[in-house]
Amino acid sequence: MDDREIELHNARARKRRNLAVGLVLAGMVLLFFLMTIVRLGGHVFE
Amino acid sequence: MALVDVYAGPQQRIADVGDYFALLKPRVMSLVIFTGLAGIVVAPGSIHLLSAFTALLCIAVAAGASGALNMAYDSDIDAVMARTATRPIPMGYVTREEALTFGWWLSVASVTIMGLFINLLAAGLLAFTIFFYVVVYTLWLKRATAQNIVIGGLSGALPPAIGWAAVTGHLSLAPLVLVAITFLWTPPHFWALALFRSDDYARAGVPMMPVVAGKTSTRRQIFAYTLLLLPVGLAPAALGFAGPLYLAATGAMSAWFLYGATRVLFERDAVKEPAARKLFFISIAYLFVLFAALIAERLVGISPFGAWL
Repeated sequence: MDDREIELHNARARKRRNLAVGLVLAGMVLLFFLMTIVRLGGHVFE
Repeated sequence: MALVDVYAGPQQRIADVGDYFALLKPRVMSLVIFTGLAGIVVAPGSIHLLSAFTALLCIAVAAGASGALNMAYDSDIDAVMARTATRPIPMGYVTREEALTFGWWLSVASVTIMGLFINLLAAGLLAFTIFFYVVVYTLWLKRATAQNIVIGGLSGALPPAIGWAAVTGHLSLAPLVLVAITFLWTPPHFWALALFRSDDYARAGVPMMPVVAGKTSTRRQIFAYTLLLLPVGLAPAALGFAGPLYLAATGAMSAWFLYGATRVLFERDAVKEPAARKLFFISIAYLFVLFAALIAERLVGISPFGAWL
């Protein structure tokens, strides 16, 4: 790979990494939310 | 000189998401997920589907974290072995420090979530598994003794017990039998690999059994561990927590495993090691079929022998 190709690859890699981190964090928030409901059962709003 | 030229040195390809995924050792992770799932499915009692998913996710992430930490601490070995030289750290895509950070954060996250949302026993077992694989096996035994994978195999064997503990909150004989199966399966599996990769291990200075004790001794030990493994593989049926499908599947796979180990014992081609290559494949199929049969019996509704009495 020449410098130009590496630069393009790095830009794409950064974008994909940011997206992956964002999706994982969103997934964790969703998991915490849902597991809280599961753990508290019907008493979630009490 | 233009300012931009100051930064225009030779460029280095940075890590992609795929490189971080490779750090998790996805093939090892898939086997761990599978055996962990067996522990969850076979355990008596019920668990909410989302809790089961969370427990399995924690087991998977912890296994991946252990893989990343193993690659970080063993990057010097990986760089000189043909099998592992293309991993992200030897290739220079991910630094050792990045892999360590990634691995330790995932370890802490998986154990914390398991403790918060499942139970403390499952979290404790998960933490012990990571500790045993990273500290006891990777940092100590792997470079110190030919018994490295025998003792270190405990960490890879624990996921069924973690799955069981996630459902029941305690341990009993049944999950320990499942642990024993994977524990005794590890030596024939890894020594078969070591037989046809012995030059690689010798070059890296890893004291695997064929390097230290020779190939003839390794073949005998593979056969001995196979003889130990096969009755333990049948124990779930004998103890009553598996049924006829498991018994039939294990019987067939045990015969195949014994045939493969016997071929390794009498192997004459010490260069290509075709019998060891075959046994490596058979061993993967053996473990997969055993745990698949256990899971299938529960999903299809086939009663274990214990329920027949």
